[in-house]
Amino acid sequence: MEKIKISKGFTPRLAGMPDTSFIKAPTPRIVGLSAMDIPYIRPKLLVKENDPVLTGTPLFCDKRDTSIQYVSPGTGRVEKIWFGNRRRLQEVVIALDTPETFIQFDPVPKSDLKNISKQDLILRLKQGGLWQSLRQFPAKDTADSSHTPAMIIISLNGNDFFSPHPGILMNREKEAFEFGLDLLKRFSHRIIVTARQSSLDLLGPVKAHITHQVPDTYPAWDPGVVLFHLKKSSEENTAWSITADHLVMMGKFLLTGQYPIEKMVTITKKGEKKPHLLARQGAPIKTLVGSFHSNDMITTGQFNGRIADLESHLGFFENTLNIIDTPGEEEVFGFIRPGIDKTSVSRAFLSSFSKGPKQVDCTLHGEERACINCSYCENICPNGLMPNFIMKALHSDEIETALEYGLLDCCRCGLCSYTCPSKIELTKILSDGMDSYYKDKA
Amino acid sequence: MNPLKKIFDENERHFAASGKFEKLSPLFDAIKTVFFHPSPKTVVMPFIRDHLDLKRYMTFVLIALMPVLFFGMYNTGFQSGLAAGKTFGMGKSFLVGAGYVLPILLVSYGVGLFWEILFASVRKHKISEGFLVTGMLFPLTLPATIPLWQVALGISFGVVIGKEVFGGTGRNILNPALTARAFVFFSYPVTLSGNVWVAAKDAVDGFSGATALAITGIEGESITRVLSSSGFSLSDLFLGFVPGSIGETSALCCLLGALFLMVTGIANYRIILGGIAGLAVTAILFYLIPGGQESWANAGPLYHLCAGGFLFGICFMATDPVSAPGTHTGRWAFGFLIGFLTVTIRVVNPAFVEGTMLAILFMNVFAPLLDHLVIKYKTSKRIPNV
Repeated sequence: MEKIKISKGFTPRLAGMPDTSFIKAPTPRIVGLSAMDIPYIRPKLLVKENDPVLTGTPLFCDKRDTSIQYVSPGTGRVEKIWFGNRRRLQEVVIALDTPETFIQFDPVPKSDLKNISKQDLILRLKQGGLWQSLRQFPAKDTADSSHTPAMIIISLNGNDFFSPHPGILMNREKEAFEFGLDLLKRFSHRIIVTARQSSLDLLGPVKAHITHQVPDTYPAWDPGVVLFHLKKSSEENTAWSITADHLVMMGKFLLTGQYPIEKMVTITKKGEKKPHLLARQGAPIKTLVGSFHSNDMITTGQFNGRIADLESHLGFFENTLNIIDTPGEEEVFGFIRPGIDKTSVSRAFLSSFSKGPKQVDCTLHGEERACINCSYCENICPNGLMPNFIMKALHSDEIETALEYGLLDCCRCGLCSYTCPSKIELTKILSDGMDSYYKDKA
Repeated sequence: MNPLKKIFDENERHFAASGKFEKLSPLFDAIKTVFFHPSPKTVVMPFIRDHLDLKRYMTFVLIALMPVLFFGMYNTGFQSGLAAGKTFGMGKSFLVGAGYVLPILLVSYGVGLFWEILFASVRKHKISEGFLVTGMLFPLTLPATIPLWQVALGISFGVVIGKEVFGGTGRNILNPALTARAFVFFSYPVTLSGNVWVAAKDAVDGFSGATALAITGIEGESITRVLSSSGFSLSDLFLGFVPGSIGETSALCCLLGALFLMVTGIANYRIILGGIAGLAVTAILFYLIPGGQESWANAGPLYHLCAGGFLFGICFMATDPVSAPGTHTGRWAFGFLIGFLTVTIRVVNPAFVEGTMLAILFMNVFAPLLDHLVIKYKTSKRIPNV
């Protein structure tokens, strides 16, 4: 096991780390398949309201490549199809029926994996609605199945600081995980498995598969950061990545021939230490979060998730829900308070002397101002970018300059926006710049 | 609800669009946000944010300037007493000094704020906190004897030409406070050079209000000896009991402020340390060159560091993040070259006894070039990703 050293990044002392036990969530009445967490997708609906569906029935596909399908996480009837602005598909909601009936594919026994052609494996994964769990850098779009990546990075830890502990899943699904690893070896010669230092002790038998250990500094475990620190040539820029829970799903799907419907999720809240939840794919957020102040914000990642509507459902790529407080009133003389419990990268608050968890809420703590070139963003960027200069290049439409500065190495971890004292939405500006370049190129 | 909040809420409509005082809405907003820290909800990721904002950032610079300001007031009074042939006590020195300094400070803030509001109102943006620092820095670089109308003219030039014509805070190339000072320096040289550094209504005969940098030795006598015999011992220069601009005299107070700024991470330590290193290296080099015993070339690094406005400039002016380079290596070079140029101008150019202001403004102009070179080097080290 090698260690990857990451000098930048940031670990705020946050309260609300989930407990490492888990409980089974009750079966919900409805499940949903969200299209909101799928990057770049142009969804094409394959079902209508009131259609009966089985677990594994394709509900929509991607217009850019119709063989990429997104399948129903439950058996029942399409209750409602939600559209957002400009009729963009948001969610397909399924009212569950019993008994659960799966679309059955041929299982692949362990010993047979070697005998099945790569094309056949790709086809099965696409039909099973799991191919899209492989993401291709630099934009992290769905992996191009005709491409042979220089490496595939498997991150055992999710996007957020409080994402599920991989040990809980691995102790249940060791076999599926190892099968998944064997499967990935068919696609690339180099398989990288990374885990956070703090997750290692609970990993048990799977620990032997870890190739790289990363520090507990956010976002060291992000595949984009791992890739940036491992890559040696520009061929590696198009590496693939996959999360451990998706790899387990792939393994289970091939072993059983059925779409796996379980999902380990964490619900985190300041001052609470909730156990992990073994929930369903596409479980309604309302039933997952439980009691909730209407003012608070629910996100699927405090730094790099999305705001989850209480009425929506957990997406395919999401496995954590963070409930973030909203403060009551504006602080009187807020700019000059000693700030004994305020989180900050800087040392401009007394909190830098105390070790305990700090106050976090979902507000900006200030107003947007012009960039003053303070380099706070450069000091924190895990991939050695200078977000302020890239932002200025993008604002003046100098896309070539932005690329030269390393725009595509951005892993969208959100730390530059987090730290900016001028409250500039750097991550959004960089991410939008990257998206528009990527879409233009495609 | 807070009663003050109620007053603000009730009067907000007058300043809203189509309100009676619509044009003054930036002023209303600026005052309101001093009392009630604005903190809107995040709408895009990341959803949690750092607590540091520009209000606190700039306030910290003001806090760092407090020792300099208060000592400046005290020393102005103290020097004025000396000039009159008396020794004022602590309280009297401070009061007399405040009598000279406060009007300058008020004019600087008042006139500067007028321009800020005018531009904010026309451009429909909020008043940036950067002005709080500019309005404080400019008076501290002036002698207490300056006529108030020149203060008003100077700050107007600094704010309008130094900053607003480029688009406001964050977009200026030169430090606005130094631009203001340079304007006064070149337009009214009489008020900023010679024996103007002590404010006294009835000076005794033969009292010279010149600064240490104006001293040159007599043939055959070393500069350091001449300096100490003229009342500029190293300890006086370090503590600041000498004539000079309001804020520049005390090296100790500047260093205290700099330490505060570096520890809190508000000012970039690279500029300050680079500057001191540049000054020390250059001063030593000049010292080693034979001859010039009676000039500042032979004063050595400590005298160069403590005399004049170098420490004030490098700690508070050069660390202005907007006009300094935005890359770390660039900052080291920027600081170092300011130190180098300061000593060089002091020693080599007889037209200017003090070089800090010009050195910083000169390097401000070169900051983008330094950035360009550093970024070019850094990007050449990256694995290309296009």
